Amino acid sequence: MIKFDKVTKKFPLGNIALQDVSFEIDDNEFVFLVGPSGAGKTTILKLILKEMTPTSGSVLIDDFDVTAKDFNKTIELRRNVGIVFQDFKILQDKNIFENVAVGLKVVGASGGEIKTKVREVLKMVGLEEKEKVFPVQLSAGELQRVAIARAIIGNRKILLADEPTGNLDPKTSWEVMRIFKKLEGVKTIIIATHNTDIVNSFKKRVLVLKDGKLVKDQRKGGYEL
Amino acid sequence: MNEIIASLRRAPYQTLSAFLVLFFTLFLSIILFISVSFLHGTLSYLETRPQVTAYFQTTTPEADIFKVRDELNQSGKVLSIRYISQSEAFKIYREMNKDNPLLLEMVTSDILPSSLEIYATKPTFLPEIAEFLGRQGGIDEVQFQKDILDRLLTLTGIVRQGSLIFFLYLFGMSVVVLTTTTLFKIALKKEEIELLRLIGATNSYIRRPYIIEGLLMGAAASTVSFLIIMAVILYANPFLTSYLRGIPSLSVNMIFFDFAVWPLNPIFFAATYLLSLAFGSGIAIISSYLATNKYLKV
Repeated sequence: MIKFDKVTKKFPLGNIALQDVSFEIDDNEFVFLVGPSGAGKTTILKLILKEMTPTSGSVLIDDFDVTAKDFNKTIELRRNVGIVFQDFKILQDKNIFENVAVGLKVVGASGGEIKTKVREVLKMVGLEEKEKVFPVQLSAGELQRVAIARAIIGNRKILLADEPTGNLDPKTSWEVMRIFKKLEGVKTIIIATHNTDIVNSFKKRVLVLKDGKLVKDQRKGGYEL
Repeated sequence: MNEIIASLRRAPYQTLSAFLVLFFTLFLSIILFISVSFLHGTLSYLETRPQVTAYFQTTTPEADIFKVRDELNQSGKVLSIRYISQSEAFKIYREMNKDNPLLLEMVTSDILPSSLEIYATKPTFLPEIAEFLGRQGGIDEVQFQKDILDRLLTLTGIVRQGSLIFFLYLFGMSVVVLTTTTLFKIALKKEEIELLRLIGATNSYIRRPYIIEGLLMGAAASTVSFLIIMAVILYANPFLTSYLRGIPSLSVNMIFFDFAVWPLNPIFFAATYLLSLAFGSGIAIISSYLATNKYLKV
């Protein structure tokens, strides 16, 4: 379970990214984070990943408080969270197999396990034929699918996606979202997006942010700008 | 390993500059180490050379001289004692002045004193030995070269300290230059490191390739430096043999072991190679550690 309790995040120059935000997300829940640019969506994802810590309030991921300075617990948390970035963050000097394998290598998986599991997820995202191809030879949609494969490999319980369709055309966006749909009920999925069509068609829980405040928390909701 | 070799090949100028810095440092260090070992061996050898010479009165019976010799031998402070009788002294005198018949005519063995030439186990015992001899009867004169001894001991100390300071300087300089070079390389991989951190990689996992890269460079640089220096030493062996003629062996004490440095000894060179590997690896590990530290805050 993910629990935000009166979380405020201020940056050193004084701008406020989040203000008194509280919500809970259950295990295996599918949630959209929506709101205009600068509303605080990415900050929430960064707090879950302990890429930053709140200025006040608490963020609990299961029993782990992200404000705690515990190096080993932080590593453990990150090994349970997969993240998909808007700009993919695919390593250009590694082929697709190696890019996905990184997610397992960091947890010390064996060579055999890596081979089997990488092929499994590549098949799931429809890239089984391209494991030896380098990123430069792939389209944006395919790169995003590689990023998703890397994020879901290794039984990560939570999947975060920061504007996963932000750089994709509508058709490719739907293809990518279909992959998230396949994972529904298997992992906790939190997707930060602007895409109203996608949010409205999925009919999932929506957390709406505006100016760092949580203005709406709607079960099976939709979204209007 | 393939990834590490690929990484070295992908940044050829950084790889070359890191290699050259390590090579320069290790090359100088090995030369310095071998030179210091030889010098130290020579000094240790010379430290045992200074002698106390006791000249006895011509009337002193041989039995009294042997009594003094035996007492010195029992003290444990003496490496060896050479007794030179009046007749032997005369032989030496004749050999030294064989080209001067006038001097040979004027001197007989009766007027030359018997003497004891004493070699101490440590140079610091020499004043004590001289003092002991001074207290004995029948001795005309005691000679020992205190000034030369003092200068020798001072020189030994300066060479040891100077070498240590120079080693530390080379070490420090190499660490700074290699840290900077590695930082350039890591800056190119900043995004990859950031990603690895966010997906749960430990610091040691992120550091490992850079440290292995450094170790490979250190091993390569020390091997190349060592092989070049070995070739030079083997080439210079006949000159050294001629130069060090008369010195049976030189040895140096390295913490727990005594190594013979002369005549050329494979064990000493193996130890030198291992030390240079350790030195190169140490520089590489510390530099990689410092360079990666910047990007590894959780």
